[in-house]
Amino acid sequence: MNEVFAGLYQGFGVALEPMNLLYVLIGCFTGTLMGALPGIGPINGVAILLPIAFGAGLPPESALILLAGIYYGAEYGGRVSSIMLNVPGDAGAIFTTLDGNPMAKKGEAGRALSLSGVCSFIGGTFAIVLLSLFGPMLAGIAVTFSPSDYVALMVFAFTCLAAMVGRNPVKTLLGAVLGLMIASVGIDANTGVARFTFGVPDLLSGIDFLVVVIGLFGMGEMISLVEQMSSGKMNVLKSDKTFVSMKDMLAVKWTVLRCSIIGFIVGVLPGTGASVASAVSYGTEKRLAGESGKESFGKGDIRGLAAPESANNAAAGGAMVPMLTLGIPGSGTTAILLGALLLFNVTPGPLMFKQHPDIAWGLIASMYIGNVALLIINLPLVGLFVRLLTIPLKYMAPLIAVLSFIGVYSIVSNPFDLYMIIGFGVLGWALRKMGFSLASVILGVVLGNIFEDNLRRALSISAGDWSILLQSGTSILLYILAVLILVLPPLFGYLAKRRAAAEAELAASAID
Amino acid sequence: MADRILGGIALAITLAYAFFAFMVIRAPFQYDPLGPETWPQILAVVAGLCSLYIVIRPDRRGFHLSHGTLGRVAVVVVLLVLYAFLYEPLGFILATALFCGVLARMLGASAIRAAVFGICFGAVGYLLCVKLLALNLPDGVFSKIL
Repeated sequence: MNEVFAGLYQGFGVALEPMNLLYVLIGCFTGTLMGALPGIGPINGVAILLPIAFGAGLPPESALILLAGIYYGAEYGGRVSSIMLNVPGDAGAIFTTLDGNPMAKKGEAGRALSLSGVCSFIGGTFAIVLLSLFGPMLAGIAVTFSPSDYVALMVFAFTCLAAMVGRNPVKTLLGAVLGLMIASVGIDANTGVARFTFGVPDLLSGIDFLVVVIGLFGMGEMISLVEQMSSGKMNVLKSDKTFVSMKDMLAVKWTVLRCSIIGFIVGVLPGTGASVASAVSYGTEKRLAGESGKESFGKGDIRGLAAPESANNAAAGGAMVPMLTLGIPGSGTTAILLGALLLFNVTPGPLMFKQHPDIAWGLIASMYIGNVALLIINLPLVGLFVRLLTIPLKYMAPLIAVLSFIGVYSIVSNPFDLYMIIGFGVLGWALRKMGFSLASVILGVVLGNIFEDNLRRALSISAGDWSILLQSGTSILLYILAVLILVLPPLFGYLAKRRAAAEAELAASAID
Repeated sequence: MADRILGGIALAITLAYAFFAFMVIRAPFQYDPLGPETWPQILAVVAGLCSLYIVIRPDRRGFHLSHGTLGRVAVVVVLLVLYAFLYEPLGFILATALFCGVLARMLGASAIRAAVFGICFGAVGYLLCVKLLALNLPDGVFSKIL
């Protein structure tokens, strides 16, 4: 406990430095803006702005504070386009549209925006409190992990990903393996052998993480925007003077608490982020609401709005936990943040709290400040963001392309990279169109080297004996968890179906 | 059907990858028991199994894309490649102004608006990034003046 308070004290010392405070505010503001733009979600916002933050030569803690601000700022901002336009910025915001947009159509846009703003704040802050409490503890456990435990952890992470993200687990897995394959290009650090470079000198140092990220999430997003552009104009609903009341908040207090917990847990699971969290929480609340919920959910029920909003912001905080303590990102966006840390030569993982406490705790402290700032930005200034929604796509698409080009070029000034991001953009667009999850690809890219290194280290220890992977209790536990995650959801689904069938039969026989 | 094609492409890529992993990559001497080739071999096997599964049991959803949309996407990609090609020779300002102007025009902005948008964005973007953020962007044809 003392360690937590000492860490927070140090962290606030870093986060309250005037420049860092400025970066928190800039990050939150830009993030909300990015999130509010239709079609752009947190992951695209962070991907597009990461290289610019890197190229501008910020110190690592400031850059990370800025990027994290963009991340959870975008989770806040995503609700604006969901509610006002019925266009979710990313998968995590889909469930916000279900009840948020009907509320706005009923003339309660102001109420919906402010209620979801407060719910986002509660969910986000709840997650940060848990992060500061459990983060150091988990890091303490993870310090004892051996290379073979890490291999088990990776297997667990990819199993979570395959089981919970996307519709088709095989496609998600293939996406992740594709990411791992991309990461395997370049000179092998252990032996100096060039792999998959085909004599192209630009590939010797491997495919740059930034190139993949900007290609998949910047260029890919831009191509998607152009593709989806219909000739019809998007209809922005009018904001109005209605506002959230104390009565509303009291009515949803248990919903918010439950969904914050769900969101945090789902966020902590490696590989699954805000999109899974909001889906699970919305489903849970709808089921708990019973008969009344069946009627009102989807038609502007405030519970249906509060649930996904508190959950996705809690998940954003929760996803930071495995990234900071284990070095394994909890979501696609934190995978990019993890890559950003590696760019700054900071290795995230259990030792980060010891070796770089200023970065780890500075980031956590900045998130407290950022959430308060976001609440202030989002309640009175929401009208400004609503007006931004009217930026037409014909100007947005070139804007994203130019930002992506600036980002990639300003770092290495290699024109070859410009063609690479276009290639990855086309690839990302096609994969997404085919129902692949791009988050899994980026997770593969980020984790590729760590996964391989740990596997090789483990087998070096055992001199080539594969049974070392199953020798520690930790790794066996992780493999069991992985199997459970794979087996349980379909099993529950099967049981529920059988019960429903049995009930239907019973009901039918009762009528007879 | 689209899924089958995609699975087939993935399978072809995997086979090429597997060829290199199993036949080409060799270390002259190595310190660890796995060497540089084992990891790509594992990946090739997993990727191959996944692609095979997709070929055998594809999702039902198709690749909904009208010819008009496909054409628009193709034009955008060509524009992007041209932009990348001209980025260094012309410099950021001119290349960006051209790219933004043409793309905005293509996406439905009026000619005058597209031109104004392109030129403003090129110039303001350059000033903001180079002067304020100290990022490195190509000067190109303006290298004498700037």
